[in-house]
Amino acid sequence: MSGRWKLLGAVLVTVLMAAGPAAAQVKIKLWHAMGGARYEAITKDIAEGFNKSHPNYVIEPLFSGSYAETVTKGIAAIRAGDPPHILQVYEVGTQTMLDSGAFIPVTEVVKPGEIKWEDYFAPIMNYYTVGGKLSSMPFNSSTAILYYNKDAFKKAGLDPEKPPATYKDVEEMGRKILASGAARGVITFGWPAWMFEQAFAYHNQLYANNENGRKGRATQILFNGPFGVEVLTRWKKWADEKLLMYGGREYAPNKAFLSGEVAMLLQSTSQVTTIEKAAKFPVGTGFLPHLEGKPQGKSVIGGASLWVLKGKGRSPQELDAIAKFFKYIGQPEQSAKWHQDTGYFPATHASEKLLRDEGWFKKNPNHETAFKQIQAGPDTPATRGVLLGNFVQIRNLTDSALEKTFSGKLSPQATLDEATQEVNKVLEEYNRLQK
Amino acid sequence: MEGRFPNRTLPYALVLPSIAIVAIFLILPSLQALYLSFFEVSPFGNRRIFVGLGNFREILTSDSYRSSLRLSLVFAVAVVVLSMSVSLGMAVLASKPLRGIGFYRTLLLWPYALSPAVAGIVWALLFEPSSGLMTYLLRLTTGLSPNWMMNANYALLVIILAAAWKMLGFNIVFFLAGLQNIPDEMVEAAQMDGASRRQTFWRVIFPILSPMTFFLFIMNSLYAFFEVFGLIDVMTQGGPGGGTEVLIYKLYLDGFISIRWGYASAQSIVLFILVSALTLLQFRYAGRRVFYA
Repeated sequence: MSGRWKLLGAVLVTVLMAAGPAAAQVKIKLWHAMGGARYEAITKDIAEGFNKSHPNYVIEPLFSGSYAETVTKGIAAIRAGDPPHILQVYEVGTQTMLDSGAFIPVTEVVKPGEIKWEDYFAPIMNYYTVGGKLSSMPFNSSTAILYYNKDAFKKAGLDPEKPPATYKDVEEMGRKILASGAARGVITFGWPAWMFEQAFAYHNQLYANNENGRKGRATQILFNGPFGVEVLTRWKKWADEKLLMYGGREYAPNKAFLSGEVAMLLQSTSQVTTIEKAAKFPVGTGFLPHLEGKPQGKSVIGGASLWVLKGKGRSPQELDAIAKFFKYIGQPEQSAKWHQDTGYFPATHASEKLLRDEGWFKKNPNHETAFKQIQAGPDTPATRGVLLGNFVQIRNLTDSALEKTFSGKLSPQATLDEATQEVNKVLEEYNRLQK
Repeated sequence: MEGRFPNRTLPYALVLPSIAIVAIFLILPSLQALYLSFFEVSPFGNRRIFVGLGNFREILTSDSYRSSLRLSLVFAVAVVVLSMSVSLGMAVLASKPLRGIGFYRTLLLWPYALSPAVAGIVWALLFEPSSGLMTYLLRLTTGLSPNWMMNANYALLVIILAAAWKMLGFNIVFFLAGLQNIPDEMVEAAQMDGASRRQTFWRVIFPILSPMTFFLFIMNSLYAFFEVFGLIDVMTQGGPGGGTEVLIYKLYLDGFISIRWGYASAQSIVLFILVSALTLLQFRYAGRRVFYA
């Protein structure tokens, strides 16, 4: 009898010992919106890499759909009281998150000195620093650039090493491309409303009042002023001349570019790796085209940052795991690898140096274009990026307005006036709820 | 007399689970939506302002809601008429004694077996403006290259075709069952009386089919109003420029993308009233013409 008890005791002890280290593992849920090549990069390189080097901590990444869907799911989870530890929110959701009261600022999660913030690139820090405070962890930062099909340029008798620099270039080169039959369309846009925002920053124009919503909450959108109308009138002209072949929102237009139907694409730099891999022709990249006679600004940061959500409270171990994870993704090797896998910016000067020492940019000039573009131009309120409450809906309204113009339903001025009215109402409702 | 339950509590106990499910998943959320429709709610739900009928006023006065309503009606009528007439024709053909008819009948069912997402992807690929097969064929035959990402009318047409096609299988099965239930003697009697084939169909077969047609009419209307979300989400996301933003999709955009809970709740109430009224009207007027043999 006693022998049996001893045996049972021994088994129990073994089980407990085996379970011990497992129970000590801290699991951190990370909800993200990284599809395509980025999915592999975030699950394999980043999460698995971190988990291997930190045996007590486990990052559990979960793909939650598009950016907008991820935000919605995050909000639903916050309301239900059981949010993930880390939520990836695209730049558009920044103001909404800031007003949520549902997060722990990254500067409280990470101890002072643990991450060298001064080594992060200024445009990235400038975007996510609001009122002098950094609230979320910068993670995947991109901007918009021009992609073009070098074969189509050659066929049209153009220099395949010279992308268009101005709107006029787009038109003149475009007409040659159409006339030669090198492609059926000249240019298409990913994320149309974002391209509209980019046009404002790129020419140093404010998109919303209160310094783009950075001095106080924005109450009015400014895109129906003369500048916005001029840009959209130009785009509409492209559509009428069949230069612009509108291809839908987000990443949908990539298809028209990759199939060779359209010779140029304005798209996020996060697609460099994906596009280079998928294209059956040599891909060139260049700066966004400039609108003649307008001041020089700078293209603006897009992408997403990581927010630490409070939930019902986080244990010191959980906070330590998150801090270690944030430190890990900022390490030069990780940040450089992430850049190579996707096209997002290497976040720090150290990671850029690592890439230069490897000769990466010489071999992959398309990966450097955005980098050069984001560093050329002044740092002004107009180039730091717009902050708007309920920006998700505002993007939707703007996309809709652009589509209405392209399809010829309304004139650029009329569309933008209508959209301005709608957007201002959204801002008013949002601000009313935040007082 | 049918057997009665031995005691009074047992029948209630037996229906209780169903009632509980309906209450938890239908009635309670509906009441909650009704309650929320009187508020403006912040995205995180931590702040709400009572606005009375403000949300309803916004619905009734907003241009975008009105155009969405108009669009939904056009869409629903087109889908119902197209899907039902085509499937009736196909059901008549499929009821003929042909060699290998079982094979054809199985094929006709397929569209219904596809999930809306899969059907949406198939249609989106077919009509893809740069590389779609249908786009290519259209360009070959007509020289036109319509872009449904830019042209709202064309986008609506493609969505209508896809939605009508998706419902074919369902309609054909019911029409076919109806056709097969028509006694041969009735058709023979009509022919003996010298009725032409057309007369036989419209005067004999169609009236006998009318209960089935009425049932399908209701089902197709509900489908066109409520169940096209998946197709639209996969194909156009309501675009271009709101050109395919039917009521149910607008509700999703306002509620789940823009996170305006109050406004979206009010929309769901309005939609509920609209559809109830529509169904009632259908029973009132169309129902009278139905001939139950």
